[in-house]
Amino acid sequence: MARQTLDPAAPAQAEQNGARAGAATAPRAPRGKTGWGWTRAVVAFPALLLALLGSVVLAETFSSVYIQPIVTAQVLLNATGLFAFPRTWPLTDETILLTLRLPSVMGAVLVGAALGVAGALLQGLLRNPLADPFLLGTSSGAALGASAAFLLPAVFATSLLGFSLLAGSAFLGALLAAALVYMLATRHGRTPVVSLLLAGVAVSALLSAIQTLIIIFNDRQGFLIRVLYLWVAGGIRVGTWEQVWVVGALVALGLLGALLVAPSLDVFALGEEMAAHLGLAVERRKVAVVALAALLVAAAVSISGLVGFVGLVVPHVFRILLGPRHRLLIPASALGGAIFVTLADLLARTIVAPAVLPLGALTALVGGPFFLALLRSAGRRYQW
Amino acid sequence: MSETALEFAAVSFAYRRALALDDVSFRVTPGAMVGLLGPNGAGKSTILKLAAGTLRPSAGRVCLLADEASRLPRREAARRVAMVPQEFTVQFPYSVRQIVEMGRTPRLRLLGTLRSEDHAAVESALATTEIAHLAGRAFQELSGGERQRALLALALAQEGEILLLDEPTAHLDIRWQIETLELLRRLNAERGLTILAALHDLNLAARYFSRLILLNKRVVADGPPSRALERELLASVYGAAVTVGVLGGEEHLSILPPGHTWQGAPSSLDGKSSAPVVHVLAGGGTGALLMRALADAGIPFSAGPLNIGDSDYALAERLAVACIVEPPYAPVSDAGLAAAGEAMRAAGAVLLCPIPLGAGNVALLDLARSAAQSGARVILLEPEAGSMPDREALLARVAARDYSGRGPALYRALLEAGAEIAAMPTQTLDLLTGVRDGLT
Repeated sequence: MARQTLDPAAPAQAEQNGARAGAATAPRAPRGKTGWGWTRAVVAFPALLLALLGSVVLAETFSSVYIQPIVTAQVLLNATGLFAFPRTWPLTDETILLTLRLPSVMGAVLVGAALGVAGALLQGLLRNPLADPFLLGTSSGAALGASAAFLLPAVFATSLLGFSLLAGSAFLGALLAAALVYMLATRHGRTPVVSLLLAGVAVSALLSAIQTLIIIFNDRQGFLIRVLYLWVAGGIRVGTWEQVWVVGALVALGLLGALLVAPSLDVFALGEEMAAHLGLAVERRKVAVVALAALLVAAAVSISGLVGFVGLVVPHVFRILLGPRHRLLIPASALGGAIFVTLADLLARTIVAPAVLPLGALTALVGGPFFLALLRSAGRRYQW
Repeated sequence: MSETALEFAAVSFAYRRALALDDVSFRVTPGAMVGLLGPNGAGKSTILKLAAGTLRPSAGRVCLLADEASRLPRREAARRVAMVPQEFTVQFPYSVRQIVEMGRTPRLRLLGTLRSEDHAAVESALATTEIAHLAGRAFQELSGGERQRALLALALAQEGEILLLDEPTAHLDIRWQIETLELLRRLNAERGLTILAALHDLNLAARYFSRLILLNKRVVADGPPSRALERELLASVYGAAVTVGVLGGEEHLSILPPGHTWQGAPSSLDGKSSAPVVHVLAGGGTGALLMRALADAGIPFSAGPLNIGDSDYALAERLAVACIVEPPYAPVSDAGLAAAGEAMRAAGAVLLCPIPLGAGNVALLDLARSAAQSGARVILLEPEAGSMPDREALLARVAARDYSGRGPALYRALLEAGAEIAAMPTQTLDLLTGVRDGLT
């Protein structure tokens, strides 16, 4: 098909629209003018990166022993190997910061990034504003996995790379639940998103019921309920750098995959049929998106329990700020989720120190009002 | 380019067990413009999906530029065929430009960044569909017609050789319908784009498509409009309802030139033609309720002159026995006036709806007056003037919608010539029933 324009007025129109700057230039496709999202992105991403860095420094600074923020920043920058500030602080500070605190803070960063991206993936795939990373049975799968671990005698003794048996079985539980949901929702090689949602709800209910039975028929019932409750309420549980590397690798993998499927998610917004007409192998993309989301959620769950609200809200916030395109939305949700969870975890550890509040409660408590305010100020412009 | 753009060879398709297509064969040459007609469930959409390769035939072969459609990788198929769906919702606030950019999906590389040729294709598609000024707007905020344009732009940005459209004029008002079809014809003529469109409006199909395929799970007829729209064929495929507004022979190439009287088909099922007993002067929606009421009551009527695109025009075309047509936004032509005078005389009764009066149409009132003076019944419909309107209330309302300066005087003259006043369409019917009784 020939690509020249039919209408003699068309080039003039295109010029009017786009290359406003150079009046002398021939009418050509205006680059960069592909929606206001990109211009904002140029500002937003450096700002988000700085904010994340700032959050990490803050989270490192405030804990049981106070260390000056400037020291924290210098130690952290030295640790990257790119800087070499002369040491003006006691060596113990460095040990506290890098060995004791940093793994936990990095855990918060990873959990936030994973949940933010998983939320963006599932909201995009399901075309549903209420989609949440824990939607596809992953939360109850993880909880059931955690409960099942208690049935094993060596639950607190065994560990691998710093992961407890609890963490491992929660990870597996989340993945298996998502796989089960996907299988149940698939018929004749097709997986309608409505079936996916319904299967998710049904499987969640089923797994929760099994979990309840496990708890009820366990002779250490009271203890189990308390431990599980705390686990479900969420909190960053990272003790070693190995854990950070393992979870970090999984999250990096998930994030990379998410960036690759991002353009497909935009096309999915037009509906699956249209996506097929635009050349996407729809079912294969769907499996990929669900698998990526499940991987990210499982990775997060293994070190944090169930931290709600992040994956639901963060993608909405950035859709308001940057527009709906997933190529921007996904990295922004990763950074935003990381900032959010890092700060929430900081609050959880410090508000009533030395006691620690459940992280899941904090994310909802802090994020809720903020999100509502944003939603109200965006008004009718935001048709999600 | 191969000799055949699209070929269906003995294609059958069944959804679960329900047979949707039975042994369908046809060929479309490159650059052809083909319309698919048929009642709901006749398999029009199924044919489009088979052509796009998103459905696989249960039997037979669908070939897309020499390759079997369902065997092509999705991406390759999407480079050859673009589809404009009938219904469309977008879940997120994407801008029109972002939506149109998605048309480039089958041509993008791994990360989906647009290159300069992609931007050029998007600009060209926006310009061709004349929506460049809407590019920054959110797709969700567009009107129905604008959405249709954006979808067309999306499909054009895809740059396939074949364009499939599923009822491109459904949900559009008559002006958008015509503009959309004009655009398609232009694309077909100037770019050699092969077009296959499912259509529901037989009139428009006949006017814009040189080849029509009439379907009812099988191919019932395939050829130029005069052949595909044979009245018996249509009646057998659609059932009786279709005889409204469709004629046999060549004349149904309708939307006739200005001033022509359009002899519609009988609205009664037995096919017996009945002469109009009342002529309706309407416009701008003022006659909608009345014409429906007349049709419900089985009173044959003529209407016009009406401008193409007028909301009363679309209705009159369906309901009236005859309709006098003027081009969009044009004043009443001499030919139109003559035809209207003739129609009033023939009907013996005139219904004047509360149309806004201007220099372009006030002459119709003169005609109505002379009809009244020569013994025709004239009824003035005036719903705004209270439930039992008197002369003064009527004239006050007339003055309010008169831009010609002659309205009130002409209405007064009409009343003096014996015109009656009706406040509601039902009252009109009561008055008219007498007319019909008098005739039979």
